[in-house]
Amino acid sequence: MAARRRTQLLTNKTCKQMTDLVLDYLNDKLAPTTKRDFQRHLRICPDCVNFLNTYKKTVAVTGSVAIDEIPQTVRNNILTFLRKRIHRLGTYPLIVITHFISPSGILDTFLTRCIDFIHPHV
Amino acid sequence: MSPCRSITDHDYATVGLRAAAQLATVSALSNTTEPAMRKRNPAPHETDLVERLKAGDELALEAIFHLYSKRLYSVAHRILGTVADSEEVIQDVFWTAFRKAKSFQGNAQLSTWLYRLTVNAALGKLRRSKKDKEVDYEEYLPKFQEDGHHLVRPVVDWSDTLDEKYATREVQQLLAEALNQLKPVDKSIVVLSDLEGMSDKEIAVTLGLTVSAVKTRLHRARLFLRGKLAAQLGYSAT
Repeated sequence: MAARRRTQLLTNKTCKQMTDLVLDYLNDKLAPTTKRDFQRHLRICPDCVNFLNTYKKTVAVTGSVAIDEIPQTVRNNILTFLRKRIHRLGTYPLIVITHFISPSGILDTFLTRCIDFIHPHV
Repeated sequence: MSPCRSITDHDYATVGLRAAAQLATVSALSNTTEPAMRKRNPAPHETDLVERLKAGDELALEAIFHLYSKRLYSVAHRILGTVADSEEVIQDVFWTAFRKAKSFQGNAQLSTWLYRLTVNAALGKLRRSKKDKEVDYEEYLPKFQEDGHHLVRPVVDWSDTLDEKYATREVQQLLAEALNQLKPVDKSIVVLSDLEGMSDKEIAVTLGLTVSAVKTRLHRARLFLRGKLAAQLGYSAT
């Protein structure tokens, strides 16, 4: 209890306010006076030091998640899909028309699927 | 022709597509250590590629695909978690980029536009698939007494315990599960910020949010992830 009173006297930031400032503190975006208050609070509050360490650890662990490489088969599938659709834009004038009149692409997707059904190897 | 130099528009126009694509891949791979979207000005050849894309040039689309597919796939996969969904999203992104190239504003960066298309497509897919999988954050956020002190004291520093108790792969598995419980927009923000290295401002532009909204969501999401990790270790999430 005495320690808590001493904390209140030595800092003008509560632990709750400290938590709200953590993100800007780590990005070095706090105003100089706020940053000074933040660091003053850290000097006397082990709870907030521990909180800060675990917050930083969480960010570090999140950032260390392995990069998901694009598999070669996926890359090839997408390129094949794109080439096929572009080819169809040139082959089927109706798709070109719907391509321009349908902002959402629903019509040309529908027509492409119809062509897929009729000429699966084109 | 050295594969180490940067790729120019001339390369795509004069050499075979396969060779140009290989050069683009080498170039893209050499840039993978850089945080996403760090270049403030588009490279000259990128401007040319956009112009050619607007003119319906298939080779320009393929060149852009080789430049950005790796990074965009990574974002999509981190948001969606499956190869099939990520493939579908990236396929739609590049097809949309080809169809809508004329709507692309020259004052924006191509990468920003592509990231926006990717995140929006991934968010749409995620929203459709995980309506009831989200967890209420409140249980895992820090709680305080009326006077502003931590409710549960002492607050334990478990940052070293995490590494001692779990192998890297297990920690990443724990985190992946926690990430999947975030709201779709929050998950996208965490992915773009903590995994892709984007600034709050870049994320705001990409997602069409205010910087303030990005910061609030990012902070709450991180607090939730922190709470989940703490709970996993047997400590108070608060």
